[in-house]
Amino acid sequence: MDTATTTCSAVDLAALLSSSSNSTSSLSAATFLCSQISNISNKLSDTTFAVDNTYLLFSAYLVFAMQLGFAMLCAGSVRAKNTMNIMLTNVLDAAAGAISYYLFGFAFAFGTPSNGFIGRHHSFFALSSYPERPGSDFSFFLYQWAFAIAAAGITSGSIAERTQFVAYLIYSTFLTGFVYPTVSHWFWSSDGWASASRSDNNLLFGSGAIDFAGSGVVHMVGGIAGLWGALVEGPRIGRFDRSGRSVALRGHSASLVVLGTFLLWFGWYGFNPGSFLTILKGYDKSRPYYGQWSAVGRTAVTTTLSGCTAALTTLFSKRLLAGHWNVIDVCNGLLGGFAAITSGCAVVEPWAAIVCGFVASWVLIGFNLLAKKLKYDDPLEAAQLHGGCGAWGLIFTGLFASKQYVNEVYSGDRPYGLLMGGGGKLLAAQIVQIIVIVGWVTVTMGPLFYGLHKMNLLRISAEDEMAGMDMTRHGGFAYAYNDEDDVSTKPWGHMAGRVEPTSRSSTPTPTLTV
Amino acid sequence: MSGAITCSAADLATLLGPNATAAADYICGQLGTVNNKFTDAAFAIDNTYLLFSAYLVFAMQLGFAMLCAGSVRAKNTMNIMLTNVLDAAAGGLFYYLFGYAFAFGGSSEGFIGRHNFALRDFPTPTADYSFFLYQWAFAIAAAGITSGSIAERTQFVAYLIYSSFLTGFVYPVVSHWFWSPDGWASPFRSADDRLFSTGAIDFAGSGVVHMVGGIAGLWGALIEGPRRGRFEKGGRAIALRGHSASLVVLGTFLLWFGWYGFNPGSFTKILVPYNSGSNYGQWSGIGRTAVNTTLSGCTAALTTLFGKRLLSGHWNVTDVCNGLLGGFAAITAGCSVVEPWAAIVCGFMASLVLIGCNKLAELVQYDDPLEAAQLHGGCGAWGLIFVGLFAKEKYLNEVYGATPGRPYGLFMGGGGKLLGAQLVQILVIVGWVSATMGTLFFILKRLNLLRISEQHEMQGMDMTRHGGFAYIYHDNDDESHRVDPGSPFPRSATPPRV
Repeated sequence: MDTATTTCSAVDLAALLSSSSNSTSSLSAATFLCSQISNISNKLSDTTFAVDNTYLLFSAYLVFAMQLGFAMLCAGSVRAKNTMNIMLTNVLDAAAGAISYYLFGFAFAFGTPSNGFIGRHHSFFALSSYPERPGSDFSFFLYQWAFAIAAAGITSGSIAERTQFVAYLIYSTFLTGFVYPTVSHWFWSSDGWASASRSDNNLLFGSGAIDFAGSGVVHMVGGIAGLWGALVEGPRIGRFDRSGRSVALRGHSASLVVLGTFLLWFGWYGFNPGSFLTILKGYDKSRPYYGQWSAVGRTAVTTTLSGCTAALTTLFSKRLLAGHWNVIDVCNGLLGGFAAITSGCAVVEPWAAIVCGFVASWVLIGFNLLAKKLKYDDPLEAAQLHGGCGAWGLIFTGLFASKQYVNEVYSGDRPYGLLMGGGGKLLAAQIVQIIVIVGWVTVTMGPLFYGLHKMNLLRISAEDEMAGMDMTRHGGFAYAYNDEDDVSTKPWGHMAGRVEPTSRSSTPTPTLTV
Repeated sequence: MSGAITCSAADLATLLGPNATAAADYICGQLGTVNNKFTDAAFAIDNTYLLFSAYLVFAMQLGFAMLCAGSVRAKNTMNIMLTNVLDAAAGGLFYYLFGYAFAFGGSSEGFIGRHNFALRDFPTPTADYSFFLYQWAFAIAAAGITSGSIAERTQFVAYLIYSSFLTGFVYPVVSHWFWSPDGWASPFRSADDRLFSTGAIDFAGSGVVHMVGGIAGLWGALIEGPRRGRFEKGGRAIALRGHSASLVVLGTFLLWFGWYGFNPGSFTKILVPYNSGSNYGQWSGIGRTAVNTTLSGCTAALTTLFGKRLLSGHWNVTDVCNGLLGGFAAITAGCSVVEPWAAIVCGFMASLVLIGCNKLAELVQYDDPLEAAQLHGGCGAWGLIFVGLFAKEKYLNEVYGATPGRPYGLFMGGGGKLLGAQLVQILVIVGWVSATMGTLFFILKRLNLLRISEQHEMQGMDMTRHGGFAYIYHDNDDESHRVDPGSPFPRSATPPRV
């Protein structure tokens, strides 16, 4: 809220008015005027809370819509026989995440006062005495919950099509309830050791790391977790043949991929601009039209430009590399552009966002080539996109953050982008963030996936993988376009006989005509 | 709004001394301007809030259309989606013409409203176009629910008739009873004139919307009977599975998204301080409502996941989706007046209620393609009871006006009166909807306007009445050229798909 509070001292005002008749009525006049001004001040405060909560709530709803987008993107990117499985994991990410984030995740992330590593104020666990103070209401909790479940959703993409359902439940609860909140505490809490909004002036390198909406905190965390899951369990059967050649296991519906991508784009307008949390704040008395609402708008613009540039760059480079115009690749490129700009969307000029998207496209293509070389299989390219483009986004901010915007968003006179003349401290903090996130997620999620693997709880059997998990664990095939495909009307024995794993086919009968 | 900014120039002038009239006029003028600006700002903010909430509730139409489409067999996809589009369209017209007036046209004697037909004398000091649009979005939600129960076997003209009647009359009357300041059971009546000193608490419509839609669907499905092949001669239930789990999940998530307009939006205003100048105001209650909604749905989803894993041996995404929606339907009544932990209890129980109602339906051979009566009727009723048990006094006073000694949740120490009012609501809704919609469906059946013929049902309504199959994935699948426009049957000798 604007710090120019409206105050009034009746005694002082009375002294100014005392040239009129007698001092008693001056005091009464002054008291009256002061109480009215106090009224105005309260009404302004109420108005500001209403406006800011409206803004944050609707931003939270948009971020939630990204769950739907990711569910559709995932569904379309996997083979039809695993559709129900992947969508169920997306629904459950959100549901289990709500419970674990409410019970303790939110407290670990934002419970203050606390130490720099993890939050621990008792009143934040299960929101027990909430809202405690201004600036932190239920709308803030809902917004942060929506972010937390986004991270878990990303990881599910890397381990799609071959992971046991109980492994999903375990990793998802752990990631949303502990691993992710800790990272968000470091970089977003006012107590966090690396946070750029740290309140005690003990900023990392005098700067703090700037990750405005979470290229690192959300995208890298989700991507690196996915990386370990996919590495530990290995590629899908048939993905790399005996001579090491990679075989594309294409997703079953491009329409769902595009639907999901557009919904993610739509929701990103809550993810990036919404991270301001409030909108009613003036920046400059001499320019009353310029305030936080302008920065919010600019953030939406930089987001858009980065994604669009990445999409176009991917379109043309894939045309050169593969010989045709590929909508799936363009969608992934678009999302990579968004993942990258997420870190610096609030603190860079629009032209810089174009640079961000352009490079993000090449980063994604590069990581995909590397993955192919190393025989790393990720059905959604999640580690490459969210991990790789997320890391690029952090570096990008260290290069291009503008002085004016950094000082508007994060108060004080602090380091800014290297290529803008701001020195190397911000970039150093960004690199520290990358290293620390990779390290933390590796030492938490790596052993978790390894432990699950050792207990035979991670990967499904080869038979189940060939048959498809929908058939073996989820009650049947996701699609039934003709009545004779509806196997539920046939005896169980008949259905079991129709499933035959072969070395070439990737779908069992009945064949889906999509 | 509290703390009005007022100013009397005459009084101020005497206080300021003999030559101060001009100064006083000036100061009062400025304060008057400030007051007006605040009033304008409040209306702008509240209308923004309500309009965008209305757009979210409208998005639930899309969600329900996708849920319905995915839950029926492919051969009936176009039919069910058309009914969803028409619910919204016909509802728009009839709710405008007289539905809104029946619902909110005050002042009345408590049964039905009678002003503002076709939005005459509108806007009023208490209701603007944003309010109308919001209420319209609710009205079409109720009609949409019913279409799920009678899917796959109902004549299209029957849809048009029941939908107009439900949205234009049956539903508005119910919303008048519980949501209008004049309604006989409304908690918005003056404090000394409320049912059991409280009125029935149904904040966003577990009863008014979900039970009305569900009970109407129940009668439609009962009167026309189960789909062919649903129950074998020996009584065994055969699952007639929907054709696309992707559409089911898409629809469920869109409904979830829209529910953030449905529940928190029902406050209709966000700029209402509880203690002017404090950070705690109606915006906090709205945030808490969104959190409660989320927790109830999520708990119901998880409970259903594990419950069905135990009962059927696998993890079933469409069941989880239905469980999720049941959790939302239940919390809808009490989302604004309970603590977050109570919302978790609500969702947990809603899941069990849904599983139980589904078992009961199978036992009595009741067929509902969307489980609409079980979900919206059953979980909606549970949601009303839940309020009678868990409503918190502080929140009731914030939302419905401070009333010393008001009844609140039984388990919170508030006595049994609120629960009593909730039970009255359940009985009255079941009675009213049965008497109106039950009769309508019965008449339609008698006139042979309700159910389609057996042949059409086996072929699928898209082929026989809607121009052809919904999906054409290979060019030689396009059979539309084989259908004789004058006849509902394909020209070719291909026997009808079974």
